[in-house]
Amino acid sequence: MSYLKIQHISKTFKNEPVLNDISFSLEKSKVLSILGKSGSGKTTLLKIIAGLIKEDTGKVILEGKSISKMPPNHRNIVYLYQEPLLFPHLNVFENIAFGLRLKNLPKMIINEQVTTMLSNINMEAHANKMPGELSGGQKQRVAFGRAIIIEPKVLLLDEPFGALDSETRDQMQILFKDLQQKKAITALFITHDLKESLIMGDQLGVITEKKLTLYASKQDFIDDESTGSKKEMDFWEKIYKS
Amino acid sequence: MNTGKYIAIISKSIFVVFTLIPVALGFGYAFLYSFGILGILNDGFTLAHWKKVLFTPTLWESLGFSFYIALISLTIAIVFALIIAIYLKQKLQKGFLSIAIYLPLVFPALVMAFFSFLLLSKSGWLSRVSIRLGFINELEQFPNWINDNYGIGIIFTSILLITPFFIILYTNLYHHEKLDNYKELSQSLGASPINTLRKVLIPILLRKSIFTIVLFFIFVMSSYEVPLLLGKQHPQMISVFTVDKLQRFNLLDIPQAYAISCLYGLLVLGTMALFLVKHSKIKLK
Repeated sequence: MSYLKIQHISKTFKNEPVLNDISFSLEKSKVLSILGKSGSGKTTLLKIIAGLIKEDTGKVILEGKSISKMPPNHRNIVYLYQEPLLFPHLNVFENIAFGLRLKNLPKMIINEQVTTMLSNINMEAHANKMPGELSGGQKQRVAFGRAIIIEPKVLLLDEPFGALDSETRDQMQILFKDLQQKKAITALFITHDLKESLIMGDQLGVITEKKLTLYASKQDFIDDESTGSKKEMDFWEKIYKS
Repeated sequence: MNTGKYIAIISKSIFVVFTLIPVALGFGYAFLYSFGILGILNDGFTLAHWKKVLFTPTLWESLGFSFYIALISLTIAIVFALIIAIYLKQKLQKGFLSIAIYLPLVFPALVMAFFSFLLLSKSGWLSRVSIRLGFINELEQFPNWINDNYGIGIIFTSILLITPFFIILYTNLYHHEKLDNYKELSQSLGASPINTLRKVLIPILLRKSIFTIVLFFIFVMSSYEVPLLLGKQHPQMISVFTVDKLQRFNLLDIPQAYAISCLYGLLVLGTMALFLVKHSKIKLK
């Protein structure tokens, strides 16, 4: 049985259709990479799944139950923006502890879990720093830590590495993949970057013309001319040969 | 030297000539006067005026009263402004409300004080409406809200004067700091709407406006026209108390007025310095 099921989701903003009859399903602990141009409705789709935007039609089903009417704070689905959006009034430790404190867990457990998470994301030395004192990559690590520590049922990542330089981006991809496998996270990963979508995703999909096309395998994705993968590969092959 | 450097030097000079020097000269004059060094009736250096001022209970009552007025007015104004800015943010960005919110800012403090007088005094509108509605039988039964012991008229007017400013500040901060994104993120991390408000939106807005809050605290504490019209003879707010001493027929009171000005100036400067040091330490951390 599918863990996350999206059934016939459609959304229109001011008479402008953004998503049209989107359906797909995702197994537990898998990552679905979604590619699409700007304005193709990728963010809207993620926000609908997170409960931050209401769909016009369709259903979001998680673990066999419809969550379409459930408020976002009860879904345990975390939506991460491209920007890390660390809470500016809290230090690194408190940012990571944010979700745990909402659950009113004992102080000792919170301290223990946050310390472990700080070590997982290699930020032990920065626990007392304020967000303004961190680099872009460090902020994104903290944002990940803050999301993953509450063990979300689904993690929704909206171009999380879009604003990072290529080296930090590579490091973050490795870190995310590592944490995702360690914690068996189910995730939807939105990106513009072909390479990144292939690295991060177990499944691949493309949103075009308000519709989502899912690919049965990575090979199918590469073979489809419209994804641009072939073109990219040809380009690098030519460069390599010359 | 390039044009940018010239402009920087000219700007600094304008700031020094028109801001720092007049304040420093005024402060220096008041200081020397209060120690008996300047002034027609002074005979030379003395600590008598300062001793008299420091051991006068009226001064400390006046300072305490000013602090109380500023604290209550600012707390209520900020609570109102936060509620309005957070819940009416869309309407405050476009349409009628976005323009209407600027209107109270064009009224001078004296006009606003006069408006409060017409509204809240025993012979004011509210009192007359209360009689018409049968809540009270005669004007005398209406509570004392003007020239009263608790400074209700002053607090009411201060709230009218500063709330619109804080609404505009918080509405702009809300958009500038992308608080809608923080709100969504916080809910997505499991926070209820109340927790989002309490743990995310309000702390961010307060943190970003802390300097403005401190400046407005000093502004209300030092206000003159409003307490002059709506305050009582005792206790008086610090500006009224000082000017009262300065303009009395007894010329021997003038050095005391200057001593009070200096003391208040030093208190404000000291508080600001402490606040700045603490804030920069927090920032460094």
